[in-house]
Amino acid sequence: MKRIYSIGGGKGGSGKSFIAASLGILLAKQGKSVVLVDLDLGASNLHTLLGQRIPQSGLDAFIDKTTNSLEDVALSTTIPNLHLISSTKCSLEIANLFYAQKLKVINAIKNLPFAYVLLDLGPGIHFNTLDFFLIATEGLFVATPEPTAIENTFIFIKSIYLRKLKLALKEANMLHICQEEVAKLSKGALKSPLELINILEGRDLENGKVFRDLLSGLKFRLILNKFRGQVTEDLGEQLVEVCNRHLYPSFDFLGNISYDSRVYESILARNIFIRKYPYTKTVSDLQNMARSLTGEKQHPIQIKASK
Amino acid sequence: MIKKFNDLNYYELLKIPHNASPFEVRQAYKNILAIYEESSLATYSLFAEDERKAILGKIEKAFLTLIDDEKRNAYDKSLVDVGEIPENLLTAKELQKAIPLFQVNTTMTKDNNLARIRKKIKEKGTGKLASVMLNRDFISGQDLKNLRESLGIELAEVFEATKISPTALEAIERDDITNLPPKIYLKSFLKSYAEVLQLDAKQLVEGYVKNMEKS
Repeated sequence: MKRIYSIGGGKGGSGKSFIAASLGILLAKQGKSVVLVDLDLGASNLHTLLGQRIPQSGLDAFIDKTTNSLEDVALSTTIPNLHLISSTKCSLEIANLFYAQKLKVINAIKNLPFAYVLLDLGPGIHFNTLDFFLIATEGLFVATPEPTAIENTFIFIKSIYLRKLKLALKEANMLHICQEEVAKLSKGALKSPLELINILEGRDLENGKVFRDLLSGLKFRLILNKFRGQVTEDLGEQLVEVCNRHLYPSFDFLGNISYDSRVYESILARNIFIRKYPYTKTVSDLQNMARSLTGEKQHPIQIKASK
Repeated sequence: MIKKFNDLNYYELLKIPHNASPFEVRQAYKNILAIYEESSLATYSLFAEDERKAILGKIEKAFLTLIDDEKRNAYDKSLVDVGEIPENLLTAKELQKAIPLFQVNTTMTKDNNLARIRKKIKEKGTGKLASVMLNRDFISGQDLKNLRESLGIELAEVFEATKISPTALEAIERDDITNLPPKIYLKSFLKSYAEVLQLDAKQLVEGYVKNMEKS
């Protein structure tokens, strides 16, 4: 079965692209056919992390109809089984993708003939980003153990829920109800998707339940990147617990990724970190993540982080 | 359907089973506080100030209820009344009475042993016997043994407190020169022994060594 993972999480610089590239490489090394889709439109740089030059074609060729198939612009990389759909060649204004174009891209991504599709998203909560995130069978949130990143992650998660809810309401022709009710709120500001669910439930219990189930059905996993040991190792589990308790029970903790300053160095040198430093804690963390995504057994030896 | 956070009962809130021991309640309370307290990173920015206050208040109440036997029983009964837990769970809890963790296996620990020795010395007083012994030029192992026995202290207790092997202690008390440890160890053993019996270590060591070298 094909699996689509989206990698997002609100804050910039938290390592989304690095993790997308690394997981892509590790999955490809397991022998799976993998495609990385750079959806950080307007600021795409996945190719750099893969040690590639600027790709000659990519998403742009699909959008401007030079080719009809998204598969054609999936370039092979130096890693066997790993393909890249870049968006570097897209126009500077690509971030404001038109609705029809977005739908076309989303549908094409869903139909890509690869076992694993990894979507690398940009920061922020623009609705295009949210819609791309929602393509996935499973969403991976990348945060770092810092208040700023945690705050952005919560906002991102809430935005995802709200977007999903609104899309569903639109489909059911109920969006006007939501708008009416939101207007009644103080200053017309909706702070949490839970409020909206409560409103819907208040009006009609059956409907409220349908939407609640819809949101509970989403599957998310949390990754804590740049983990340095100043904070408790339980932070990830705590975050997941809080999300499951106060939002919807759809969260799993995928693990911490240890901080390593050589990641930065290898990006500077445009090397592939995993290739250059395969025996680091950071890579073994990523390795375990890739294994738990494919359901393969975890490596029996777990290197403990040095504090 | 999954319960909303506000509808959780105290056990669900702390994520513990109904027959959790007070120790588990305390642990669970500590863990949940780590998540919800104001300095916690895990809930940073998730709650407004009054929301957090309400949650912390509920956690506090849950803890104070479950840690108090009387309040907990009353709370359990109220849960049974609303049908949250089946009644037979209550009796099951009675059977599975928790073991007070801090009373297990503590009688033989070092501190207690020392405390017991001190108590004996305080009751009987080393007083006269000890000063007579220490003022002699030569102190034999038999003198030491007599003093120890007069205080009602077992050899095992001295071993427990000093960790000097019983064979060495016996050799010291029997003046068994062939089995005595080398002099440098002997001196430090005697010093520890003296400390347990609250004697002047220097006098004891001097007297004992003189006595040993005489024979």
